[in-house]
Amino acid sequence: MGNEENVGKIIDYSGRQFKQIGTRVVRPDGVEKVTGKANFGADFKANGMIYARTVRSPHAHAKIKKINVDKALKLKGVKAVVTGADFPEIDVNDKAVGEVVVSYYDMAHNTIARDKVYYDGHVVAAVAATSADIAEQAARLIEVEYEVLKPVMTAEAALKKNAPVLHKHLFTQGVEPKPDKPSNLAARSQFKLGDIEAGFGQADVVVERTYTTQTVHQGYIEPHACVASITADGMVNVWCSSQGQFMVRAYVAKICGIEISKVKVTPAEIGGGFGGKTVIYLEPLAVALAKKAGRPVKMVMTRDEVLRATGPTSGGSARVKLGAKRDGTIVAGDMELTYEAGAYPGSPVMLGCMTGFAPYDIKNINAVGWDVVVNRPKAAAYRAPGAPVAAFAVESAVDELAEQLGMDPLELRLKNAAVEGTQAPYGVKFGPIGYKETLEAAKNSPQWKAPLGPNQGRGIASGFWFNIGGTSSAEVMVNEDGTVIVATGNPDIGGSRASMALMAAEVLGIPYERIKPLVADTESVPYSMLTGGSRVTFATGKAVIEAAQDAVNDLRRRAAKIWDVDLEQVEWQDGQAVCIESDKHKPLTIANIAAKADKTGGAISGKANINATGAGPGFGTHICDVEVDPETGHVTVLRYTAIQDVGKAIHPSYVEGQLQGGAVQGIGWALNEEYVYSDDGRLLNTGFLDYRIPVASDLPMIDTVLVEVPNPGHPFGVRGVGETPIVPPLAAVANAVSHAIGKRCADLPLSPVRLLSIIDGK
Amino acid sequence: MAKVVLPLEVARTFAAGETEHEFAARDVRELMRQLEQRFPGIRARLERGIAVAIDTEIYQDWFVEPIGPDSEVRFLPAIEGG
Amino acid sequence: MSFGGNVSEIQFATPQTVKEAVKCLAGAKGRAKVLAGGTDLLVQLRAGMVRPALIVDIKHIPELSAVKREDGGFRVGAAVSGAELGANKAFRKAWPGVLEGLELIGSTQIQGRASLGGNLCNGSPAADSVPGLIAAGATCKIAGPKGTREAKVEDVVAGPGKTTLKPGEFVVSFFLPKRPKHAGDAYLRMIPRTEMDIAVVGAAVSLEFDAKGVCTDARVSLGAVAPKALLVKAAGKALVGSKLDDDALEAMAAACRAACNPIDDKRGTIEYRTKVAGVLAKRAARIALERAQA
Repeated sequence: MGNEENVGKIIDYSGRQFKQIGTRVVRPDGVEKVTGKANFGADFKANGMIYARTVRSPHAHAKIKKINVDKALKLKGVKAVVTGADFPEIDVNDKAVGEVVVSYYDMAHNTIARDKVYYDGHVVAAVAATSADIAEQAARLIEVEYEVLKPVMTAEAALKKNAPVLHKHLFTQGVEPKPDKPSNLAARSQFKLGDIEAGFGQADVVVERTYTTQTVHQGYIEPHACVASITADGMVNVWCSSQGQFMVRAYVAKICGIEISKVKVTPAEIGGGFGGKTVIYLEPLAVALAKKAGRPVKMVMTRDEVLRATGPTSGGSARVKLGAKRDGTIVAGDMELTYEAGAYPGSPVMLGCMTGFAPYDIKNINAVGWDVVVNRPKAAAYRAPGAPVAAFAVESAVDELAEQLGMDPLELRLKNAAVEGTQAPYGVKFGPIGYKETLEAAKNSPQWKAPLGPNQGRGIASGFWFNIGGTSSAEVMVNEDGTVIVATGNPDIGGSRASMALMAAEVLGIPYERIKPLVADTESVPYSMLTGGSRVTFATGKAVIEAAQDAVNDLRRRAAKIWDVDLEQVEWQDGQAVCIESDKHKPLTIANIAAKADKTGGAISGKANINATGAGPGFGTHICDVEVDPETGHVTVLRYTAIQDVGKAIHPSYVEGQLQGGAVQGIGWALNEEYVYSDDGRLLNTGFLDYRIPVASDLPMIDTVLVEVPNPGHPFGVRGVGETPIVPPLAAVANAVSHAIGKRCADLPLSPVRLLSIIDGK
Repeated sequence: MAKVVLPLEVARTFAAGETEHEFAARDVRELMRQLEQRFPGIRARLERGIAVAIDTEIYQDWFVEPIGPDSEVRFLPAIEGG
Repeated sequence: MSFGGNVSEIQFATPQTVKEAVKCLAGAKGRAKVLAGGTDLLVQLRAGMVRPALIVDIKHIPELSAVKREDGGFRVGAAVSGAELGANKAFRKAWPGVLEGLELIGSTQIQGRASLGGNLCNGSPAADSVPGLIAAGATCKIAGPKGTREAKVEDVVAGPGKTTLKPGEFVVSFFLPKRPKHAGDAYLRMIPRTEMDIAVVGAAVSLEFDAKGVCTDARVSLGAVAPKALLVKAAGKALVGSKLDDDALEAMAAACRAACNPIDDKRGTIEYRTKVAGVLAKRAARIALERAQA
């Protein structure tokens, strides 16, 4: 510190004692949220606002023959109706280049159907009126004529010979020779290391089994909601909750055929996303209706619309084969995953193939993934997409392997644990990682030693997620009184605002309470990639740290001016400019310098626009204890411990919250959550009564252990933490139940009905 | 010479199934030029949803990242997350 | 809040007496719905499942909201909330099983509104408070255009969502008879979670014993295993004359299983419901026995 060369460099703080990082400060959105005053997507009001409702297909698979909107338009109070015809045609090959391949064609057609509908709940039309009641009445007056087609509701059905084909333009990718007929098999992917035949040849013990899971939803409590308005000269304003206001802007612009510069998106507080809000549903409809009606339009999804028609994650099957030597060395791993993508291609099956074996140093691996379309809603990301199902299979297989070898499942994992330098299944070698440390922490945890009684069982499982970096922007602005605003472009879905403020506070050396972090709209901060991939505390945090350092350098320059000394004379310590020749000049606080900002050159600020690299992967190990009622199949979770390498916990409470939240979602996935469809493809459980996410009384306190192996790619050692926690629980629960009943449970969810039939041997 | 590993499907389509190759390139931009020369059409395929890992670091938005003389360069699917 | 229709078209009445309420219902132009706590009605209105022309709020009628002793038993107004009845110490002492069923409905917030009358007349086969009332031998006082009448609780529900009430009739109150010494009741239900869920199977048992501990009367009622809650007479018979030994309990469970007529649906299979009906009836009987001996 203290010289010009450090401008723009990242200054490494790891190894230092932190003053504010790691403390449990009150989050800036806390008071508003607990008093019910926070503004979520549905809370926004605009002058002259009207209300919209959607018309959705009741059929899982059908051609749209005719839509008649005349009666709806005649109803008093109706201001506009839109159908697919009101949206620009998009080329079938139009894909977003760069990150994950996003098909704009699929996205646009998923938003509102054109000539076909592909799932129960697929939007066919939307109507806006002066009240929600009138909009609902009008929606019922819209007449749609369908030619109902046979649906395929499972991957198995979709892949049968002569199965109805959903998309005539879908030809399987990743197979040779390229098929000349379309099918429901969207893609095949494969990852290989070494030689699995040779590998299995060395094995003394081999286990092989097929595991199945069902479609589950991210289960955010806040339904999708937005308000859209458009001026007479075509400037669009959207207020919505999402995981990325820039993502919303880009997708709205594309689907509505408007220039990006004409769309402004303001983010609301978000009531859960978990990946399900990294895409959009209502916004283009609201914009199109606002354009036709000449009034701002509000749209809020009902719960049944959320479940029927927003992306759940893929259900699927996983066949896993593991081979090990007598001493426990795993010599080969073979995995075949089949995931249901929903109505359009793009399940996360590839990510499943890449992550399943990642906690282990296995020299010979083969992982094949099949992406299959079915007449269910298009899958969207759900916390570590693709990984939980693959990990369920692998971690169950490791458990079975431990049984066959007569080894403790924890010791078996320790023996094969990936460490720094281990080659991941996708070929890249790991940098510093903390997987082994999570296993050691599990060994030392109170739960591991707790005694078990009759009908009780313990399960342990591990998991991995890459974590990403990406484009993030930050501005640090110093107010006239020396307080500071930190503006970023990433919605806060886990307490990240507090972490941004803590990181800025650490660099600036001023108290956390003097910093106001905020999430800016698309016109007030440079472009930022959405919130997801466990990237915000890492990547946006890095941008905030750099922006704060930039501001510090600006402050130093002003101090140098005030004192009339060279910049090299000025150091920044604990929120003050300090002159190296300290007897000459007394220190200047940030408030002192800010008061003279006009005189020394104008407003004081720092900024950083980065594409953060150096993300560190996150490993977790979970322990689950259950008791099974052998006469009813009811499972009680007695104890649960979630252990994870988090790099450095900026705000420990929110990191713990991520571990607990992911664990709870995984427990629900394992025990009771599943989509239930009728034979003709209609979703039967469209509310939280029958789509059973856990309620608070279902669970014990989720104990957490934060292991900190710092990530050298971040100045404070941060690793992403949000996604890894949902990866281990499926197998942790299934292994526990399997041990409790003495039979292997390979099909989720382990609802009482399913479990009782396993217990009774049916 | 840096070791360059192509994804299986890309190798099947462009390189007769051979995934491992050697190139002397000082950065990713130069590597792409050389790859395109040896396997025409491969660049467009690699620019779609593919990340580049150089030794232990994975780059989702790659362009001119430096490659060392003994580096291992791998192409793998881009990762987003939820 | 949207009501799936034009809100201003719904008439809303607040009668102060039973007579007034009967008159309101008789004069309805179109479908009329009775409103107690509204924990079913409001949900159905919002979902557009029902579009009444008239809603009659009966909570202003003193008789509907009162809990009184009568002939050694209890007369409970049909609109009394679970929270209120649950706070009644004497009622809890006499009928813990009936209360158990009522108090399982919904959540703390719902309990501030949910009522025995509403739970019964909504007609769900899985209604939690109904098996307990049937096992207790409870009766209803029903008011209508032709005057008032009494009916056994098990005769009020016709099938899923349907009652045997005639047009213009509504349930005024419930009567639970005097409880002899050495009596106990219990209600258990099977739900996948631990609360805020709907019964996959419900079982209520009410038992009376003599001074020697021999069972003199037993009533067993099952919920969620048939189009309406069942009174399983054969199950009660299997216990009478016994001290609830294992054989008697197994005979009772077998009778329960035989009486089940459930469906396969998203909540459970025929096989599961049938088996668990027997399991829960046994467990409820054991709890009722413990309470009778206390």
